[in-house]
Amino acid sequence: MVNTIREKIKAKIGDVEVTEVSYTEKGYHLSISAIKRNLLPLVHFFDEHLFYLEDICCVDYVEYLELVYFFNNYQSLCRMKVTLQIEPEHPQAPTISHIYDGAFWYEREIHEFFGVVFENHPNMAYLFLHDGIEFYPLRKKMVLVSDEDKRLLNSFKVEVEEDTFSVNMGPQHPSTHGVLRLVLKMDGEYIESAQPVLGYLHRMHEKMAENRGYLQFLPNPGRMDYLGAMAFNLGYVTTVEKLCGIPVPERAEFVRVIAVELNRISSHLLWIGAFLADLGAFTPFLYVFDDRENILDVLESITGSRLTYCYFRFGGLYNDINESFIEMTKAFLKRMWGRFNIYENLITKNVIFINRTKNIGTIDQDRARKYGISGPVVRSARQPYDIRKVEPYAAYKELDFDIPSGEQGDNFDRYMVRIREMEISLRIIEQAIDKMPEGPFRTEKVPKKLKPPKGDVYHTVETPRGELGVYIVSDESDTPYRMRWRVPSFSNLIIFPHLARGTLMADAVSILGSLDLVIPEIDR
Amino acid sequence: MDELITILGRETVRTILGLTGTFLIVVLNTLVLTWAERKVAGHMQRRIGPKEVGPYGLLQPIADTLKLLGKEILTPRAVERPLYYLAPTIVFIPVLVSFIVIPFDSYLQVKDINVGILVILAFSSLSVLSILFAGWGSNNKYSLIGSIRSVAQNIAYEIPLLLSILPVILIANSLSLKDIVEAQKGIWFVVYQPVAFLTFFIASVAETNRTPFDLPEAESELVAGFHTEYSGMRFAFFFLAEYTNIFIVSAIATTFFLGGYQGPILPGIVWFFVKSYLLVFIILWFRWTFPRVRFDQLLNFSWKILIPVSLLNLLITGGILKI
Amino acid sequence: MGKRGFHLETKNLSVKFAVVEKILNLARANSLWPMTFGLACCAIEMMAAAMSRFDLDRFGAALFRPSPRQADLMIVSGTVTRKMAPTFVTLYEQMPSPKWVIAMGNCAISGGPFVFEGQYNVVEGVDLLVPVDVYVPGCPPRPEALLEGILLLEEKITGKRRFPKPEAKW
Repeated sequence: MVNTIREKIKAKIGDVEVTEVSYTEKGYHLSISAIKRNLLPLVHFFDEHLFYLEDICCVDYVEYLELVYFFNNYQSLCRMKVTLQIEPEHPQAPTISHIYDGAFWYEREIHEFFGVVFENHPNMAYLFLHDGIEFYPLRKKMVLVSDEDKRLLNSFKVEVEEDTFSVNMGPQHPSTHGVLRLVLKMDGEYIESAQPVLGYLHRMHEKMAENRGYLQFLPNPGRMDYLGAMAFNLGYVTTVEKLCGIPVPERAEFVRVIAVELNRISSHLLWIGAFLADLGAFTPFLYVFDDRENILDVLESITGSRLTYCYFRFGGLYNDINESFIEMTKAFLKRMWGRFNIYENLITKNVIFINRTKNIGTIDQDRARKYGISGPVVRSARQPYDIRKVEPYAAYKELDFDIPSGEQGDNFDRYMVRIREMEISLRIIEQAIDKMPEGPFRTEKVPKKLKPPKGDVYHTVETPRGELGVYIVSDESDTPYRMRWRVPSFSNLIIFPHLARGTLMADAVSILGSLDLVIPEIDR
Repeated sequence: MDELITILGRETVRTILGLTGTFLIVVLNTLVLTWAERKVAGHMQRRIGPKEVGPYGLLQPIADTLKLLGKEILTPRAVERPLYYLAPTIVFIPVLVSFIVIPFDSYLQVKDINVGILVILAFSSLSVLSILFAGWGSNNKYSLIGSIRSVAQNIAYEIPLLLSILPVILIANSLSLKDIVEAQKGIWFVVYQPVAFLTFFIASVAETNRTPFDLPEAESELVAGFHTEYSGMRFAFFFLAEYTNIFIVSAIATTFFLGGYQGPILPGIVWFFVKSYLLVFIILWFRWTFPRVRFDQLLNFSWKILIPVSLLNLLITGGILKI
Repeated sequence: MGKRGFHLETKNLSVKFAVVEKILNLARANSLWPMTFGLACCAIEMMAAAMSRFDLDRFGAALFRPSPRQADLMIVSGTVTRKMAPTFVTLYEQMPSPKWVIAMGNCAISGGPFVFEGQYNVVEGVDLLVPVDVYVPGCPPRPEALLEGILLLEEKITGKRRFPKPEAKW
């Protein structure tokens, strides 16, 4: 696949530089450096060949700014990295948001953090930041915001026409999503347009990464997604291990799998509770927390924390597991298999629930591709794409599991996909406990101050919400030069305004709930 | 006591005693229901509810009431004063009036008006007005949406309420509540009219704005619905009215379908309260089991399913009685 | 921002209602209604404290009201950023007095782990914006810590502690 794409690019678009790199070292297959005039033909080419937009980010090498685009394919793994260099004073670039809809917000984010103006982009207003910040935060030198840019950034206005009124939902919300503000323009009970306003929990993780050593940054991923903290931790640790070439012993890989799968179950359980609380049923919320407390007890016995874990270290784990952990896990597995009955009777067979969730929020396959959706949301849209199968990491190569997928892509399918994923996770844990080898749990002789070689690396893991991508650029010092987090909730939220058009407010709330968003990871 | 009777007249003293008793029942019922709701919720959710405030948490409603009494009386600047002040007062009146005609026992009824059920139905429509005042007067988009939903819901569900009571009135041949209870001496009407009982129960859950029909106060969508802007004692009035409404619809259901105060050995009033509180418990049970229905599904359910079913029931009952 | 406790609005009043104030304070302490103000990770621990295992409803404090006008306790759980600060102060001012604030978690106490040189978006501590009554440290604090925070708040309101403080036996 990679070679055919390379030949086709060379044939169709002449003057690009296409280099093939080692996938195991770098995380992507081809590195393509484009120039401004052939960026759009290249992106059209990817669109015709059914690639999805994974990420757009920007790196500030002081003499020039570099825009980095990542494209990947759902059917067969083929990750392309396209780079575009632009000048640092008055940076400008062509927009690709008319081809890939998901690029809307990525480009807005790059604009307010780096100052890159995208030509022909319909809306360059503030996404994360607000009026009180006078400089571009992620530039290496202090660059002040110019006046015309300020006008562009502050151009968010709520337009009201006749017969419509605009309602603000949030940022303080009774539903448990966190601080998300939705500006809804409504015509009676029907929504005409829904615009999310983000940034109420922007905690500057990417800027902190440039000021902290690799080991000092370890607690941060857990705070980004507090419900799937193990998976975020795993993503960060595996990327740095890939960058520095640190091997991981087998026992540590299996324990990592068990920890991440337990965390996945607890995250899905909390999602069920929150989703049903949005729909109005409060009792499943409490049953779910009851189950969750069991998982938290199990994980607390080895990691020491209940929610924001920081258990993995470069080269292995923090400490080894013991017999009581295995006993508690087995007891939990036995208990959990019997609990699915309760959820089945209380929720899945409930007529009111079925009426509230069937045929609402349907996503079709091609839309999913243009927005870059991943995780259970894309699996419910008949696209069984799971990174644990496609790019296996940790011990997933040796475990045997299948991937659930839905039929229609509506809310009910997303619910069923997550329930089945919980069952699959239980089976994975059983297999991992059986196959776990003895041995060391951490590689010796990993320096405390890591000085990785020069270069960049991209690695993805499957969190409970979707595909997390970590892109680290290092310049041989002990702090990263740039660390970019491609979070699943960000790309999953971009499709919400499109889904919410024309629905009732109650449906919009239930669609938002079914996308399983965690706002701190969007705001980073 | 006797001098009082000779001065004021027998009827007046009876009415005054009856109204005092009603008022006491309303207050006690609210206290009991606030406690019971949290305890029932707790036990259904595998925890215990209020426990520390008094033995078994029995003093919890009193603590709540005292706290609400001591809150700052806050009137937001932009509200419409007359409507905002009027709404909590009006919400209470229909409930109190409905208590006048309910027969707690064969001699314990404040006034046996011979069109008793009409009084109840007429005054229960007034409660919609208070919700509309609250929503409009709050000058807040959420309250407005909540109260509009409530008006549509109440209007839609009043019709099945009425239509499911009509067969009972046809069988008992009178509009007075006492006569209806007396007419159930042999068999309770729930045996003759199970469909009407179900329709009445569902419609009454919708009338009192309880889950699964609690869209006007839909927490996760509308912050707190039509009583978003009320605080302190005014908010307590809405709570009071909601719980008393629950009791009244259960009392009416008992009177019409479950035989009222009739039953063996124990005195009538005990049976009445047992049956009413059984229905109240079922209404509380609903809240913690079902999710909310969507607004258009709610209206569809009423207009397309409940009304035809109860009309059919009425026709069949009328036909059988004629024959 | 209103004062706390029972008081009359006249200036030269030299009468204090001792018994009424005691009863009202007891009632207020036993029926604290929190507002749903979960911002970040600490919100999950606040929810866990209201759930079956560490039941907050035992103390009468688990009736979470979504509207600020009906709540009297604001548990600030999570980081307050500069974008969120105006909304936060508006919500605080919408609550009728008597009202209390618990700052839960390191982020609400002093900005937490997100304070570094050159930071531009985090408010370093909620007590720069509103007066705070009880600080509950932790990242995130355990639900038992939040329960202890609520018991401390009850002690602050009534003057007496409900459960005796357990002594550490080493």
